Amino acid sequence: MPSGALLFQSVILGLLLGGLYALLAAGLTLYFGIMRVVMIAHSAFLILAAYLAWWSHTELGIDPLLSMLVTVPLFFGCGVLLQRLLLARLRAVTLTMMSVLLTFAIAVVIEGLLGYVFSGTQRRIQLGYGSASLELFGGRIAVVKLIAFGLAGVALAALYLVMKKTTFGWALRATIQHRDAAKLVGIDTDRVAGFGFGLGLATAAIGGTALSLDTTIYPSLHWHWIGPLMAIIVVGGLGSVPGAAAAAMVLGLAQSLLQIELGTTWAQTVFYLALFLTLAIRPQGFFGGRLAQRF
Amino acid sequence: MPSVSKRLATGIAIVAFAAVALAFPELAPNPYILSVGIVVLNYAVLSTSWNFVGGFTGYISLGHGALAGLGAYGTGLLVTKGGLPSFVALAAGAAIVAAIAIPIGYAALRVRGASFVIVSIALVLVTLLVFQSWASFTGGSRGLNVPRPFPGMLRPEHHRVFFYLFLALLAIALTVWWLIDRSRFGLGLKAIREDEDKAETLGTPTFAYKLVVFVVSAFFTGLAGGLYALWFGDLDPIFQFSILTGSYMVLMALLGGVRNLFGPLVGALIVGSALEYFKVEFGNTPLHLVATGVLLALVVLFMPDGVLPALGALLRRLSPTTETSIREVTAGEVAAIGGEPQHAQSRNG
Repeated sequence: MPSGALLFQSVILGLLLGGLYALLAAGLTLYFGIMRVVMIAHSAFLILAAYLAWWSHTELGIDPLLSMLVTVPLFFGCGVLLQRLLLARLRAVTLTMMSVLLTFAIAVVIEGLLGYVFSGTQRRIQLGYGSASLELFGGRIAVVKLIAFGLAGVALAALYLVMKKTTFGWALRATIQHRDAAKLVGIDTDRVAGFGFGLGLATAAIGGTALSLDTTIYPSLHWHWIGPLMAIIVVGGLGSVPGAAAAAMVLGLAQSLLQIELGTTWAQTVFYLALFLTLAIRPQGFFGGRLAQRF
Repeated sequence: MPSVSKRLATGIAIVAFAAVALAFPELAPNPYILSVGIVVLNYAVLSTSWNFVGGFTGYISLGHGALAGLGAYGTGLLVTKGGLPSFVALAAGAAIVAAIAIPIGYAALRVRGASFVIVSIALVLVTLLVFQSWASFTGGSRGLNVPRPFPGMLRPEHHRVFFYLFLALLAIALTVWWLIDRSRFGLGLKAIREDEDKAETLGTPTFAYKLVVFVVSAFFTGLAGGLYALWFGDLDPIFQFSILTGSYMVLMALLGGVRNLFGPLVGALIVGSALEYFKVEFGNTPLHLVATGVLLALVVLFMPDGVLPALGALLRRLSPTTETSIREVTAGEVAAIGGEPQHAQSRNG
């Protein structure tokens, strides 16, 4: 039995990790809601943002957090263009399958370009406050992890406010709920869908910056993220943001606790186990609404 | 019903391909070219196996690389740890893969497309994780050596035998695909591809059909993986459980045309040769990934039906027309016949 302090530390780390998962899963859920698209390239953009943060820190000497000033608008634009120029061109009948292939292709291209430009070497940001940590009931929590969690929390809250309180958010939710009806009441659904994708990709920019603070990054790292993230959105119920957030917290916690006994590699299998069990027992996920029934 | 000339053209193409393929080991100038031929054939078998699911049902799997890897490791482990003869191990390995495919298919196919793709990718990631970490059983990242089935054989002769083995496997896979294509079972599968709701309403047991064809596909994929293990003799989890293997299969099948019996084969010939060529010219750089991704994106965006149908459409446009709604008769001739009285009658009745 591990000591109480270790257990406590693992719980905290699991919750902090879960926050980051929740933010990224929210992005994936947005895409799925808008277009029934499983966006494989989401985590590739995540790693791209992490690389941009690392690059701006080592080459330009600025704090990685400041790189968000550029990456967030940039990724927003990328998301809009991706939806308007590429995904909207696909045939509606085979959209789900073909969009997976298209976003997969984008992920592979990003991975290849990252490997070509920055080489396959593992990179890590050395920060002045990188080794600082808080002592809490005998557990040690690194400050950077708290910053990452804070970023994810603020971004999620902002996303929530945009979705619930702004006219654009209403239009976006209307588009997700019923596209034709939204069109009838005068919403330009094509434009809203494009902006929705931009919003989703912006979460990857924030998540990537948070990730770069305390993680060693390499081009193929995105595969370690897309698997857990896809498991989270299935367990939570495809299309449900609260479901994804809850599943992210539970699975992040489970991963962190299992690491004590099993080590990092085997602990990752908890996501895949949860994925298979969910699909076998309750295919629509545990929080899924109407949308999830048929996917 | 295809026209006589079209069937004749297909027949000639098959005979020509078979003749070239059978003579290839004699024509190949050196063992290296022969080994490239084997790799391309392996891709052809893999993407044809993939096409059992992708072509008939329209469900895109990115995880067939993992099934091939399981077939390879299953065969390898049965030979090294189980002490089975090589080709018994091959059959047993493929049977194990088919058995593993049942629960996977059960979880992945109960709901529609999106979950299936997610499970297929997860399959690759989880098998890579397990086979790398479980080093005491699988050899881990150090790899697994599979003894050759014909110990005394020299290298060129070994290549030659395996070239014919892969060719035979390809012929079997194509024949089974062709048989399913013509059967009632195949009709049900294609109904799922066109409209799953309508197929279900009309009484097609969609879930059972999808599961059966997925298991068949897994069996052939496992055979291809196992045969590769026996030929190559050295397995590494990084390459066996690579997401790229699965995406190559998709790319080849899509490029050739998933609705066509020979689509995956044509795609494998194009992509497989290109892959080997680039490996020789440029080595193993990350630009491999970029090229694969760009090609896949282009096919998905502009040629989702594949190159064979695109070529067919081009030929049809250039060839003399046979069926047309434009009448090649003058108004005077129509008047002389009497304005087709039956049509007028049926319209009145």
